[in-house]
Amino acid sequence: MFPLRRFRIEDESMRPTLEPGDYVLVNRWAYRVRRPRRGDLVVVRDPELSDRFLVKRVSETEASTQIPLEGDNAAVSRDSRAFGAVPLDRIVGKVWLRLKP
Amino acid sequence: MSLLYSLARALDRFSPAPVAYAHCDIPCGIYDPHHAQMAAHTVVRMIDLINQLEKPGPNATPEQRQEYNAKLARYVFVKEQHAEIAKSEVRILWGDYFKPDHLKTFPDLHDLVWKALKSGSNEDLLKATNDIASIYWKTKGLETITVKAPYPTERQTVYPKFR
Repeated sequence: MFPLRRFRIEDESMRPTLEPGDYVLVNRWAYRVRRPRRGDLVVVRDPELSDRFLVKRVSETEASTQIPLEGDNAAVSRDSRAFGAVPLDRIVGKVWLRLKP
Repeated sequence: MSLLYSLARALDRFSPAPVAYAHCDIPCGIYDPHHAQMAAHTVVRMIDLINQLEKPGPNATPEQRQEYNAKLARYVFVKEQHAEIAKSEVRILWGDYFKPDHLKTFPDLHDLVWKALKSGSNEDLLKATNDIASIYWKTKGLETITVKAPYPTERQTVYPKFR
C-alpha cells in the first residue's frame, strides 16, 4: 500500500487552514510509528457516516485509543463535541501536505 | 496556482480524489418544503384509508375483528408518525431557513407555522404545508403552481415553477 493518498476538501469547518477546493496529501503510515498528537491534521472515517471521510484536527493527546477531534473553525464545526472521540483505527492518516490554488 | 495543486487537479481527470469533509454543523443552506408536503400527504392518505376501512359488523368473527384492529393500528401509527415528520420539517424551515427579512414580506408566516404545528395529524396539515411551501418558493424568487398531486391522495399541492 502506497502511504500517500490525496483528498479534496469540501465544506468550511477547517477554515482558514483548509478551504473548500484545497487538496491534502495524507500519510497513511504516520501512526504506525507514533500516536496522534495534539495539533495534528488528520483524515478520519466519519463515525456518523462510514463511507465518508472527514478532515479535522486532533484537539487533545490522551493515553487512550480514543482520539478527540475539533475543527479549526470551531463555531461551525461538527466534531468530537458532537460525536465523541474517534477510535484510533478510524484514522486514515495524517495530513502531510496542503495544496492550495 | 501552485504546481502541486495543478498536478492534483489534473490527476482528478483520471482518478478523482476522494473528498474529505471539513464537516459543518451549521445550517447548510439546503432546504425544501417538499419533505413537509410529502409527509402531510401521507397523513391525508392514512386518513382516507382509515375512513375506507370496512368496520366489522355484529356477526364478524374474532379473526375479522383482529384483522380490522391490526389494519387500523397500522394506519393510525403511520399517520401519527408522518404528522411528526411534517411538523419537524416545518420547524426546520421556520427555525433555520426563514429570517426576519422574510417576515417583513410575509407577515403571516408565524401564524401559518403555528397552524401547521397545531393541525397535527388532520387534513389541515397539508394546506398549512402548502401555504408555507408557497412562501418558501417566493423567497427563492420562484412562482408556484397549485395542482393535483400525482399521488393517491390527489389533493391540491403547491409546486415551484422552475424555469
